[in-house]
Amino acid sequence: MNINDIVKTLDGTLVAGGESDRTVGTVVANDLMSDVLLNDGDDILLLTSLASDQAIRTANIVGAMCVVVHNAKPLPQTMCQVADTLGIPLVSSPLSKYDSCVRIHDFLKSETGA
Amino acid sequence: MDYKPTILTGGDTRSDDQIMAAHERKHVKRVSGPGLPGSDGQGEPLVIMELLQRLRVKDVMRDHDIISVVRTDTMHFAQNLMKRNHISGVPVVEGKRLFGIVSINDIILALEGGWIGDPCQKHMATSLVVLEEDMPLAFALKYFENYIFGRFPVLNKERDLVGIVSQRDVTRVLMRELTKELARLEGAPSAQCEPKGSEEAKSEAVLPYYSMRQFVVVRNDLTNAGKAANEIKKMLAAAGVGKKIIRRIAVAAYELEINICIHSLGGSITFILDSHKATVIAKDKGPGIKDVEWALRDGTSTANDWIRSMGFGAGMGLSNSKRVADVFDINSTVPTGTTVLCEFNLSDAAPASGK
Repeated sequence: MNINDIVKTLDGTLVAGGESDRTVGTVVANDLMSDVLLNDGDDILLLTSLASDQAIRTANIVGAMCVVVHNAKPLPQTMCQVADTLGIPLVSSPLSKYDSCVRIHDFLKSETGA
Repeated sequence: MDYKPTILTGGDTRSDDQIMAAHERKHVKRVSGPGLPGSDGQGEPLVIMELLQRLRVKDVMRDHDIISVVRTDTMHFAQNLMKRNHISGVPVVEGKRLFGIVSINDIILALEGGWIGDPCQKHMATSLVVLEEDMPLAFALKYFENYIFGRFPVLNKERDLVGIVSQRDVTRVLMRELTKELARLEGAPSAQCEPKGSEEAKSEAVLPYYSMRQFVVVRNDLTNAGKAANEIKKMLAAAGVGKKIIRRIAVAAYELEINICIHSLGGSITFILDSHKATVIAKDKGPGIKDVEWALRDGTSTANDWIRSMGFGAGMGLSNSKRVADVFDINSTVPTGTTVLCEFNLSDAAPASGK
């Protein structure tokens, strides 16, 4: 699952951070950044409702491949700037975090043929 | 560092080991000694200590147009050379080999004694104190403090003369580097703080490496919180450190930075990197933690709603830092503040559970 798949699956828009050819390794859905930092997975797709610079900075610390913010929350300009600076794709989705989790799960399941 | 002072003959009445011990006491222990090395309230500021360790003698020495004489030149010739160039001493060199030094004192004695027409080899000083080009600059400063000489010859590993270093050279380079460092600390753009290219990083990764940086963390400034951790991550990548250990160090730095930002009156993150170890020191100005054991438990936090709305305050900061570090230490006093130390072994990248 790459950035294009994420955008398409979540009816989202890539708003900052640019394109990337990385693929999802681990999915983390969380609004508490310390919980995100606990995760040891690689190529994290971070699903969050936290529309702040710190969501991007946290994603950068754990080497996340993409951050998705839900419920079409307005994204602060500084958040987009940080995403551009750190080169982390930032996607805005109108879905709830729960619905995103379901769709991502279904996509990954179909991808692996499980 | 394993550098030993090089004294060809004579010079200081103290032994090399005594000089070395004095150097260790004054310049090294505060950085790498026992306890929390970030206690920067006394002595040299960390930024200066870092510069004195990072810069080498070869970075400050003059390595071109070295004014010298040969052994058969007369003392009178040396005198004129010194007068023309406004210098107080001249090395006696043939090829790259250093034979001695003729100082202004030797010239005065020659004038008084009537041997100003003699060859230099007859009256030059042969008991020489020299520096090696790879010594930290801290050594050169110690030499200037311990000896009366205004300049020292610099030799390479092959014992060839490769330069001369004077106090003026040291001052010039130190002023330049301090200006750059201050510009960086104040947030001004500076070429020095850019991450190094991968090729340079690769070459540095195999050499003895020492670097230290300090970041100011402002209370409640969540817009900038995380920048120190990001810079640390870049420094580690530039030094060729592995991805997994970079992540552990970055997590600790980030958690501690956020902690200072949201729980304290402000403070600093100090990052020290050498060939074997990375150290993150978080030091704040208060108010201190009443019950450190309680604060170290997962899920315990004094965070308010504003902090939680920003995605923090889950009470995981200290425990997360402890989890990823090889060595974890915390010292807190109410109301003066808290200092947290996290150490990471770079030679053994096995996952840590906090000790």
